[in-house]
Amino acid sequence: MKFIFNSFNVRKIILLLISINLLHCVSFGQSIYELEGLVVDENNQPLSGATIILFPGEKATTTGFQGNFTISGLEQGTYRIEISFIGYKPLQDTVTMNGNTTYRAQLSLSPLTLHEVVISDNYSEERKKEEPLNIEIVNDRYLRQNLGGSVMQSLERLPGLSTIDIGPGQSKPVIRGLGFNRVVVLENDIRHEGQQWGADHGLEIDQYAVGRVEVVKGPASILYGSDAIGGVIDLQTNHIPAENTVGGSVDISGKSNNDFGGGSVMLYARKHALHANLRVTLLGFADYRVPADSIDIYSYRAALDRRRMRNTAGNEQSVNLSVGYLGTKFRSRLFISDLNGKTGFFANAHGLEPRNVDTGLHDASNRDINMPYHYVNHLKIINQSRLDLEKVTVEAGLGFQRNFIQEWSRYIAHGYMPAAFPGNTGYSADLEREFKKYIYSGNLKIRYDRNDRSEFDFGLNSEFHDNRIGGWAFIIPAYKQFTIGGFALGKYSFSQKSILQAAVRYDYGHIRTAEYRDWYPSPVINESDTAYEHLQRAAEINRDFSSVSWSVGYNYNPGKWSFKANLGKSFRMPIAKELAANGVNYHTFSYEVGDAGLSPEVAWQLDAGAEYGAEKLALGLTPFVNYFRNYIYLNPTAQHDRLYGNGNQVFNYTQARVFRYGFEVHAHYQLIKPLQLGLVIEYVYSEQLSGEKKGFTLPFAPPASGIVNIRYLKPKVGFLRNAYVSLDYRVTATQKHIVPPEEVTKGYQVVNLGLGADIRMKDQNISLSVQVQNLLNNKYYNHTSYYRLLNVPEPGLNLIIHVSVPFGDRGLNHKGTQRNAQRNTMDYTDNQFLRAPLWFREN
Amino acid sequence: MKTKNIITTILIIAGIMSFSACSKDKNIDKEKPVIDISIQDAFPINCDTLYFGESYTLKIRFTDNAELGTYSIEIHHNFEHHSHSTDVEECEHDPEKEPVNPWVFIQDYEIPAGLTEHVTDITLSLPSDCCGEYDEGDYHFFISLTDAEGWSAQKGLSVKIMKR
Repeated sequence: MKFIFNSFNVRKIILLLISINLLHCVSFGQSIYELEGLVVDENNQPLSGATIILFPGEKATTTGFQGNFTISGLEQGTYRIEISFIGYKPLQDTVTMNGNTTYRAQLSLSPLTLHEVVISDNYSEERKKEEPLNIEIVNDRYLRQNLGGSVMQSLERLPGLSTIDIGPGQSKPVIRGLGFNRVVVLENDIRHEGQQWGADHGLEIDQYAVGRVEVVKGPASILYGSDAIGGVIDLQTNHIPAENTVGGSVDISGKSNNDFGGGSVMLYARKHALHANLRVTLLGFADYRVPADSIDIYSYRAALDRRRMRNTAGNEQSVNLSVGYLGTKFRSRLFISDLNGKTGFFANAHGLEPRNVDTGLHDASNRDINMPYHYVNHLKIINQSRLDLEKVTVEAGLGFQRNFIQEWSRYIAHGYMPAAFPGNTGYSADLEREFKKYIYSGNLKIRYDRNDRSEFDFGLNSEFHDNRIGGWAFIIPAYKQFTIGGFALGKYSFSQKSILQAAVRYDYGHIRTAEYRDWYPSPVINESDTAYEHLQRAAEINRDFSSVSWSVGYNYNPGKWSFKANLGKSFRMPIAKELAANGVNYHTFSYEVGDAGLSPEVAWQLDAGAEYGAEKLALGLTPFVNYFRNYIYLNPTAQHDRLYGNGNQVFNYTQARVFRYGFEVHAHYQLIKPLQLGLVIEYVYSEQLSGEKKGFTLPFAPPASGIVNIRYLKPKVGFLRNAYVSLDYRVTATQKHIVPPEEVTKGYQVVNLGLGADIRMKDQNISLSVQVQNLLNNKYYNHTSYYRLLNVPEPGLNLIIHVSVPFGDRGLNHKGTQRNAQRNTMDYTDNQFLRAPLWFREN
Repeated sequence: MKTKNIITTILIIAGIMSFSACSKDKNIDKEKPVIDISIQDAFPINCDTLYFGESYTLKIRFTDNAELGTYSIEIHHNFEHHSHSTDVEECEHDPEKEPVNPWVFIQDYEIPAGLTEHVTDITLSLPSDCCGEYDEGDYHFFISLTDAEGWSAQKGLSVKIMKR
């Protein structure tokens, strides 16, 4: 990896781009025209800084002080023009170029929407109106303003979203109470695959690289196959730069609670069709602070040193590179990313029981990472290509990933392990667990636009996983897994307001887990004889799964209202851990046992949505009802493990019928012009209808919660642009619906403050955002935190500062109007390119 | 006006849904079992000393609101002082040392079905240590108790196991 990045310096990339571009110009020498134009508001006042994009070709510019713009280098033909400006309704039109042409556009003020930050394009709104499932879309601006410890924590504020955390930087997404292997995370359309089942490590994704996030709340198995039963988080990284620009940005952030420091440098260049991005990110943090002097782990009290969670420091380094070609009919991008991370675990709570630690070692520095800790490396290579023909669009994606995780912890003999670690095992005495997973993915999607009213999509996705294990502790066996699925989706528009969608999918999957035997002998008593054997912990399992899923959805969008409903059946294959786990979970001091006979989960879900958007009020309600025929559940039993563990309580994977329902309410109300009131309410109820825990809820059930928000937003204050002050008052109800070994988590109230602005300097907007989380330094517990089981309170007051400084951005062709194509331009172009599934793309 | 009505209706429905959901709390067991070593003649208690080659009757009281499950006893060395008791009281430890052949004991026990209270009456026989086979010193005595529903409680005691 290092070699690749060292040899590719930016200058070489640019030279390469320019030389290829020259060839391009020679081969396409036709008549070249210029489009000149003017953008005004409702009162015919010029709008400066509006974004203009022409399709095909994604030629972008922004208007000058007089509201004027020029786009040159246009061939003869008809173009689609899209004009957008913050706070105004985006305008779409067509322009025919038969010579130099002039164009005048008048924009009108936009109604209020449920977006938390202003998004200048109408893609998000259109997408919401065409998708029968409920979705949330945010851009990088939102992520910066809500910067959390990880990309998932930055999204936590969205209605229906929460996270399962272990410490401040490690989180797994939860959509309406479902997480782990029930949520698919996509990065650039390829499924991000790590060890999703484990709560002890987060997503291996550089949060600075994420430009746009789309969250599908509800079962999306139809499009993505097994695992998307709870929803999808679709991340797009690396914007495509505006045409003929070169530049970059520097992002710096700091957090007071864990002395976090992070920086990310991004460089980009685009010459006509060719473009490249390079991003390097480094970050590090110390042990985080909690408002407590000691932690009561079960009945054992661990004193903290200076109120810091001992040994939770960490660091991360990542490199992202993308190169691409963006032609009028064909486009292709190659993404290469490599991420390294090392994070400590709370030292008192890892192993077979709460532990005493060597405070001299652990408390010497709050920046060092001692054992226990985990190390992760994730390498990802993705290619996405798209071909646009007259009525058919073809998209293809290929991916290779290598996920490497090690958990380091001092050897603790348990069961009949030898008291001292022998030297002949082939691995270190301190390597508790190791997972090395190779993932190969392939996607193919074809869209056929039959006519104005109907379109059809066909898709095929396939993945192969090869997971290897190491270390002295056993939890899951090595396995190989192959999945393939195909679907057909039809969409029919009765009118522009009324769209019906139906889809059917077939999936096949095969999993083979390897046999595992202990590396140490245990006594086996056979009548009067005692023999010593390397016991079999996991037998080889070969399972085939197949399923037919379907969904029917309808969208109706009369004027200010939009309604949607979707009914679907989805499924999920059991994972290796559910089938074959047999070992101690050192984070919860429990013993987990799989069941080789589990059947694939099947769920039916009905989703509905109603949204209203007028000038002063935007309101949305999104209820859902969900039934699982056989939810796979880790059931705490009354039994204790003797042979392999330490007398730990046994948890068995089992299946139960589960009924769930819930809703989100989201509202914005404009009090007076710059002052906006916001409300988010989320609620989920789940109940097991059968099995040993009949009547109980599911683990980590998110409590009902609400956010009342006041936001002051002004597009222009002196030299500031998009200045905002935002106050969140979050009220979370007591979670009484619990399941062993959880405890009732008391309700809490937290106040978060955010403020920021873009500062205009020369041609650039420097954006600054400040957050104060837990302003009142309240001590509270988060029911969906893994550390909640250990009685660890949430972090105290946390000041977060983020600065983003763009540079360069100069037009390569010295055309005045090509200068300072701003971030928004890039947002926009990005939205048009290989977003999520192509069948949702507006045309 | 029409709009306002619709919004009000939606809010009322949402309110009712959330209210009805909260008020419907099933009659399920949410209480953990309890390990009690404060009864008279409780054995062992924190900082007790046991001897190799001798037998002891364990006296620990278990209670639960609904029905007890099973329990396990686990004894392992604490020569590097990795674990300590769940009791506030700290016992005096020997200096840290490397294990050579520490004694390990892991056993799980059934509790007769349907009980809400149970006092253990099991015999723990330590192996005789005639020939210096097992390491003596600090040990950790760990009790884990479940109820029938899967709720659990743990207790860790510091004991010494010595040669008489």
